Amino acid sequence: MNPSKTSDDELNAIQNIDKIIHEPARLLLMAHLFVVESADFLFLQRQSGLTWGNISSHLRKLENAGYVVVEKEFIDKKPHTTLKLTDKGRKAFKEYRKNMKQVFEDLPE
Amino acid sequence: MNQKINLKEIERKAYTSYHQDGVIDITIAVVILLFSVMMLGDIYLLGSIGGVSGILAVSLYAGLKKLLTVPRIGYVKFPQQRAQRMVAIAVALGTLSALMGLVAVLQTMSQGTPEWLVFLIENYMLTIGTAVAALFLLAGYAFKTKRIYAYALLTLVLFVAGHFIYFPLYYYLTALGIILLACGLFLMIRFVSRYPKTTEAADA
Repeated sequence: MNPSKTSDDELNAIQNIDKIIHEPARLLLMAHLFVVESADFLFLQRQSGLTWGNISSHLRKLENAGYVVVEKEFIDKKPHTTLKLTDKGRKAFKEYRKNMKQVFEDLPE
Repeated sequence: MNQKINLKEIERKAYTSYHQDGVIDITIAVVILLFSVMMLGDIYLLGSIGGVSGILAVSLYAGLKKLLTVPRIGYVKFPQQRAQRMVAIAVALGTLSALMGLVAVLQTMSQGTPEWLVFLIENYMLTIGTAVAALFLLAGYAFKTKRIYAYALLTLVLFVAGHFIYFPLYYYLTALGIILLACGLFLMIRFVSRYPKTTEAADA
């Protein structure tokens, strides 16, 4: 096996890790949105344990990256915000999982 | 934050926290108790109640969720695949039951009451118990909620007991309804104290 080629592969795998998703709070939010079709702020707050402000700022970054779409609607005359992963976000999360597995695949105990 | 992110665990937690409010238990209990009360009355009334019980169950479930669950735990929409599978199973079971009913009617008309139908009627407690337990299993699968499987087991135990110890059917239905209602109310009280209403706007 060529050692330099292996190092290049490893470096590529690490470089391919999506830094937007890699931040722990955003990873948690992405993971929660990945397993549901859509959810609101309160649900994400209850499930993740993150604060309101934290969720808000991280979701803004995810929204700017095109990974999350924020839909505003009125339910019983009250404004309601629903969040869902976009197709791009879903694909990016799957890719992130794959890359992370690849990075740690041969890690010794 | 936990180092390990387990998607299956996150999904399970999302489902269970959403269904730990006792709403499904109370809804089922109310429908069972309604049937039980109607059995004391006119059998034709029971038939008509059967028709509206579905509408009642859906309205009660949706109303309680909206009033109790969403303001406390938030709104979530789960993927539809499981619900679609459940509808497919329910339709298959309904079709099978309808076919069995049709076969029973045709056989009764041509050859008199068939043996298998006599067997089902004679052992009606076992027949009804199995059917109700099957519905509970279906609901448990649909809502990913283990305690509904326990209700299936409880139903079987009650109705098997009813097969050997004679009391009118509505006694057993009432007992089942009361147990479910008590469980539902307990879960609801626990849910309300665990998740107080948030003062922060849903619009964030």
